[in-house]
Amino acid sequence: MKEILANFNKAFESRVRLGIMSVLAVNDSMDFTGLRETLAVTDGNLASHLRALEEAGYINMEKSFINRKPNTSYSITEEGLDSFSSHLKALEELIRNR
Amino acid sequence: MNQSDQHLEDIQAIRKLMEASSRFLSLSGLSGIVAGLLGVAGAIAAQLIITKISAPEDWYMRPFAEGLDGFREFLPLFGVMALVLVLAFSGAVIFSSRKARKSGHRAWTPVTRRMLASLLIPLGTGGLFILFTAATVPAGVSIASTLIFYGLAVISAGKFTFGEIHWLGVLEVITGLVCLALPQHCVLIWVFGFGLLHIVYGLFMYLRYRG
Repeated sequence: MKEILANFNKAFESRVRLGIMSVLAVNDSMDFTGLRETLAVTDGNLASHLRALEEAGYINMEKSFINRKPNTSYSITEEGLDSFSSHLKALEELIRNR
Repeated sequence: MNQSDQHLEDIQAIRKLMEASSRFLSLSGLSGIVAGLLGVAGAIAAQLIITKISAPEDWYMRPFAEGLDGFREFLPLFGVMALVLVLAFSGAVIFSSRKARKSGHRAWTPVTRRMLASLLIPLGTGGLFILFTAATVPAGVSIASTLIFYGLAVISAGKFTFGEIHWLGVLEVITGLVCLALPQHCVLIWVFGFGLLHIVYGLFMYLRYRG
C-alpha cells in the first residue's frame, strides 16, 4: 500500500489539475481559451492551477501573438507526462485493491 | 463517498476529458449514409450525361477538358460533382451539429478546427490538382484522383475522431488505385467508393453510436 501511495501525486489532487493534465497529455498543446472551454472553469481558477503545475515543472507555457493579440498556450513536459502516468497507475491500483 | 469511489470517479473524469479534448465525437453516421446516397445519385446523373452527350467509347482515356468544346460538354458533369460535394458536406455539418446538441457536446471546439484543417488541406490540394490537370490528364485518372485524395483527407482527419473512419479512408485510397488500374469501369468503381462505402460506414456508425 505504501508503494502505491508513493506514486500518488499531491500535485494532481485537485480536479482542475487532473483535468489540465488529462487534456495536455493527449494534445500537443492547447491555449488558455481552449482549456477554459474544455474544462468549463473560471479564468482565475484555471490560471492559478496552471501556475502551480508550471512551477512544479509539469507543464510549459508559451506566450505568443496571433494577429497582435496575445495568446498563451500550454503543453505537457516530459516530467509532467511521467508523473501523470505514474499517478494514473496509482489511481488504478487503488481501485483494484479496494 | 468513500475514497476509492472518488478515485474511480477521477479516472472516469480523466478518460472523458482525454476523449472529449482530443476527438470530435459528434460525427454523425447519418451524414455518411446521406453522402453515400448523394454519391450514387451523382454517379447516375454523371452516367446519364456521358450517354446523352454521346461521349466516345474511350472517353475515360481522354482529358475532361479536351479543348474548349469538350470542356463545354463536360461542364454539366463538373456541376453535378460540385453539387454532390456541397450537399454532402452540408449534410455532415447539419447532422453532426444536431448530434452534438442532442448529446450535450459542443460542436465547435479546438479539436473540430484541427480536424477540419487536416481534412481540408489534402482535399483542397486534391481539388486543385484535379482542376489544373483536367486539360491534360485522362478523365479516368481525374476520377481516380478524387477517390485517392478524398481517402488521404479522411485518413488525415481520422486522427481527430472515431477510429473506424481511418479504415474508410484506407478503403477509399485502395478503391482509387483500383480505379486507376481499371479506368474503363471508373464510374462503377466511383459508385462503390463514394456511394456504397459511405452507406455501409454510415449505417455501421449509426447503429454503433446511435446517431
